[in-house]
Amino acid sequence: MRAFIKIIKEQFNSFYLIMRLAKFQLRIDNQNNYLGFAWEILNPAIQMTMYWFVFGFAMDRGVMKSENGLEEVPYVYWMLAGISMWFFINKAILNGSKAIYQRYAMVAKMNFPLSVLPSYIIMGKYYGHLVLVGAIIVVCWIGGYPPSIYYLQLIYFLAMSYILAFAITLLTSTLTVVVRDIQMLIQSLLQVMFFLSPILWDRTTKMPEWIHQILMLNPFYYLANGYRASLLFHDWYIVSHWELTLYNWALIFVLLLIGSKAHFKFRNRFSDFI
Amino acid sequence: MAESVIIKNVTKTYRMYKTKGEQLGDLIFPGKKGSSFNAIENISFAVEKGDVVGLVGINGSGKSTLSNIIGGIIPPTSGEVIVNGEVNVIAINAGLSNQLTGIENIEFKCLLMGYSKEKIAKVLPEIIEFSELGDFIYQPVKKYSSGMKSKLGFAISVTADPDILIIDEALSVGDQTFADKSLEKMNEYKKRGKTIFFVSHNLSQVRSFCTKIAWIEGGHLREFGPTNVVMKNYAAFIKKYHRLPPAEQKAFRDQLADRRKHSKIMNPDE
Repeated sequence: MRAFIKIIKEQFNSFYLIMRLAKFQLRIDNQNNYLGFAWEILNPAIQMTMYWFVFGFAMDRGVMKSENGLEEVPYVYWMLAGISMWFFINKAILNGSKAIYQRYAMVAKMNFPLSVLPSYIIMGKYYGHLVLVGAIIVVCWIGGYPPSIYYLQLIYFLAMSYILAFAITLLTSTLTVVVRDIQMLIQSLLQVMFFLSPILWDRTTKMPEWIHQILMLNPFYYLANGYRASLLFHDWYIVSHWELTLYNWALIFVLLLIGSKAHFKFRNRFSDFI
Repeated sequence: MAESVIIKNVTKTYRMYKTKGEQLGDLIFPGKKGSSFNAIENISFAVEKGDVVGLVGINGSGKSTLSNIIGGIIPPTSGEVIVNGEVNVIAINAGLSNQLTGIENIEFKCLLMGYSKEKIAKVLPEIIEFSELGDFIYQPVKKYSSGMKSKLGFAISVTADPDILIIDEALSVGDQTFADKSLEKMNEYKKRGKTIFFVSHNLSQVRSFCTKIAWIEGGHLREFGPTNVVMKNYAAFIKKYHRLPPAEQKAFRDQLADRRKHSKIMNPDE
């Protein structure tokens, strides 16, 4: 618990540092491209078009129902609203997990709060995410889904995406320093999670109930449907799925607890592993 | 005078493996697989405030390991280092990004060094002036020559104002005028009574700059004392060592290295 509080304090005290370093990271990443930051949006846009073409158009998914079965939206909007968080989560976890072993040498000789390494990488990706969500809002609006009072939930889910990404990478960024293979494992697991989450498809209601229940334990299930409830459906998802809300916050708390413990256990010895 | 840094029985052991399998075995059953190598072994000495200590020794003797342990970058395997005050390692090339411009790099590295927004605004003009880069400060660092890059890194590093300073081969950057300027800066630190650890192979620089010398040989502290005494012995050793035929030099190094290898983890108390 002490480690947990220390990490949270370190994060809050380093807020300015995280924001500035994230901005520099974006500049470093996009320095060599003429289109620069635009690629942070163009890349997902191209992928989303392909998903729409394959699943929405070629396989003709038609309409998708909301989780409570009361509302229907065309597949393309359903997919866009759910997938937006995935581009962020995927990149944030992949790059955030590498943060310490890739960047340790850069800060080793300075008095640098090491838990800031994964968080500024995540924050760099978060800027792109916010812009992407903004673009998707415009698309949904044009498609006939104007902003509603349910948009208020979006702030909650946006914040949760960041916190979840941080909770996961705090742990994985430490583990990958000790055993580098974990990076490979994370890469595969993320692919698995992508297809196990209701991002491109959702047939869970047609599956046996127990399989559905297990799939709901995946935190990205809650996020994907939470974004949808905020952008498209008229549903207070946080309340109507309060069991999932409690479960996901408990999961984040446990991840942070284990992650901060592991981080401080190895922090002084990172140099021995790198 | 107060003691500034106390080094007590410090040993640093690295684990060495021949294969990935051995490494994995050692991770699961610590101490069963692989062999140990003591980069430094049982070093103790105390340094007073205001001392300028030169760390000398041939390549691979453990100078950098020791300076990194004092700087808190790597933890000792056993023993302890007691430091009274804030330590700073002058790391010229660390924390510079090739993609960013010089001026962006100044902010970037200052952030990494833990400076506040206000402090960065304050030191920025000083750094630009000291670095002598002129209009190149607006160019990406990847276009810099290695000398220009070191100048920038050095100019940023010396804005730190710690109680204890560790300089590892830092004064040989840039051309002669810049080297002089850097040495002047170091002398300024010395005058202000900072404790300085100075790692260098440049004997004349060490002799003129340092007040005490710690001579490290094969991971052991061979001699520690005032500059004039230790440097005389060290210079005599170096002269003799250089005269040896290459085969005998190698034999000497191997003999030192053998002393530091252990197949099992040693109990430091034994």
